[in-house]
Amino acid sequence: MSDASPSLVRKYSGGAGAGPRSGPLILRPDVLIFLITLAALTIGATFLAEAGLISTAFVKTLGKTLCLCLAALAMDLVWGYTGILSLGHFAFFGIGGYAIGMWLMWDRTEGIVLDTLSRGPLPPTALEIEEQIGTQIFGVVGSSEVPWLWAFAGSLPIQLAFAVLVPGLIALIFGWLAFRSRVAGVYLSILTQAGTLALSLWLFQNDSGLRGNNGLSGLQNIPGLTDVPQSTLSLWFLWASAAALALAYLAAAWMVSGRFGSVLRGIRDDEARVRFLGYEVEHYKLAIFTVTAMACGIAGALYYPQAGIVNPAEIAPIASIYLAVWVAIGGRGRLYGAVIGAAVVSLASSWFTGGGAPDIELGFYTIQWTDWWLVLLGLSFVLVTLFAPKGLGGLVDLYTDRRAAKRNADLGPDAGALRKEEDA
Amino acid sequence: MSALLEVSGVSKTFDGFKAIDNLSFSINEPELRAIIGPNGAGKTTFMDLVTGKTRPDSGTIRYGELSRDLTRMSEARIARAGIGRKFQKPTVFEAQSVEENLTMALAAPRAPLTVLWRRNRARDRAAELAERVGLAAHLGRQAGTLSHGQKQWLEIGMLLAQDPRLLLVDEPAAGMTSAERERTTEMLVEAAKSHAVVVIEHDMEFVRRLDCRVSVLHEGRLLAEGTLDHVCADPRVIDVYLGRPEEEAAHA
Repeated sequence: MSDASPSLVRKYSGGAGAGPRSGPLILRPDVLIFLITLAALTIGATFLAEAGLISTAFVKTLGKTLCLCLAALAMDLVWGYTGILSLGHFAFFGIGGYAIGMWLMWDRTEGIVLDTLSRGPLPPTALEIEEQIGTQIFGVVGSSEVPWLWAFAGSLPIQLAFAVLVPGLIALIFGWLAFRSRVAGVYLSILTQAGTLALSLWLFQNDSGLRGNNGLSGLQNIPGLTDVPQSTLSLWFLWASAAALALAYLAAAWMVSGRFGSVLRGIRDDEARVRFLGYEVEHYKLAIFTVTAMACGIAGALYYPQAGIVNPAEIAPIASIYLAVWVAIGGRGRLYGAVIGAAVVSLASSWFTGGGAPDIELGFYTIQWTDWWLVLLGLSFVLVTLFAPKGLGGLVDLYTDRRAAKRNADLGPDAGALRKEEDA
Repeated sequence: MSALLEVSGVSKTFDGFKAIDNLSFSINEPELRAIIGPNGAGKTTFMDLVTGKTRPDSGTIRYGELSRDLTRMSEARIARAGIGRKFQKPTVFEAQSVEENLTMALAAPRAPLTVLWRRNRARDRAAELAERVGLAAHLGRQAGTLSHGQKQWLEIGMLLAQDPRLLLVDEPAAGMTSAERERTTEMLVEAAKSHAVVVIEHDMEFVRRLDCRVSVLHEGRLLAEGTLDHVCADPRVIDVYLGRPEEEAAHA
């Protein structure tokens, strides 16, 4: 085929979904540009922070934003590529946060309790220590007993594993039940939303064992690193978040390339046809649902130590809907679209709701962005859905299309038709 | 020669409408068979039953040397067992390139992990298939930008890529130019030398060119079977399908 083809391929395969004819993954334009941008941002933020030009709070906002980007990336895989509109992936994010939060709280409390008890005349017994920790952590919900959920809270490796495995296991069981019965489309969305609501309602209860609506707090204090100032810790977490996002991006780009990616996009566009080609659609859906849930767990485990607190409100159904909104605004079915969407919308959200945006005086009414931001977001979502279904990521096409047009003057009347080829 | 597919006494009712009524049908390997019948005769439902999209209310569908019961297998397993299907409306993945469409269809392991890890790109095989169906120059093109006839070809290519033993082909010539029809005929006749091929077709001229046994379906039942001339001479067939015009023409 003529040298016109590669640009056309790139144009139509939705950027990141480049087909089997692409070269080494890391050298693909979208992957390379993404990694360089991410590295530049992280290094730049580090220098600015060291120079005192940006605050520790802002570094934390950046780090948290990267974690949200990672969750959006997972959402794009499951929705943008595979067509499963899960409205529950942020619950997995929250579970990851709870899992790591339990260790953070337990270990820090244990340190304080040991310190206090060691001043007594007798060395404390294990029972005394546990009772004291229980009172410290669960006093707020009127209990001093340590719930069974906290059995491994003292072990960092186990809680880290839980941050990934619990979301994975829940997704596996939920997905197996749902996909096996061929629940799809809006019914699946409703089911995931219901599951998320159930989880958050359960967490709100005081006897859930996870401190009810108080959630877990003080998570910014990392046991063993109490001497490290928050300004330094925030940079460490920024780097960890950036590394996690970079790895996830590479993994996602690898997954959506080649035949596996073809099958995913095939399921999105016509799942019955994929079945008739001999692929077990349910197995693919289950795999992607579970893997993305685990990715969300990792994102949450990195996010909440930076946020400092995780509570049931974080898991509320609306959070998962935001995740879908970010991906839609950023551009479904292209990996960088999800990242752009999450970054732009969540940073704009903190700017508008954090008092950064000036109020607008209309004379008869003052638009206060803390109240009106959601209206603006909702409006942008509707406008993007109606007029720019490719989202912000679609802007990239404007550039690649123009380059493609320059290089192949022989584009036919309808998009993608190569006049030369047709005539041949 | 032994029966590759054995459909016996199959019935399927949709909301009181008998789409398939006590139908029996069998095909050998290799064999080329055309199924004709008026609209609503149950031709497409028949394909749905064999490929597992629809489950019969009664009757059995047995396949292969092991006489596996297709009514108990999932669509994907039936496809992997060697039954390939081409849809009436060209059904290709329009958002993906010709090469990606063909690669997805190529006979290879289908389990998610295997597909993810083993990345033999099989580009030679995809290219070879594209050559066979006249799309070699369009490998990188998005399937949605192909012409109707080219999409039909791509789907035929995908069918061949699966390397099935039994090919179920629903109106392959629809929307094709006469030159394309001729090539399609050749290809089906060629495939039927080593495979079992069932062609559903409306176009009698096309069926005549296939020159094979014909099964006539009517109201979900098998009305007649034999050569095209034989079934065309059957008064019942004339009555329900070929209609009066030909009869009148014969009298004229």
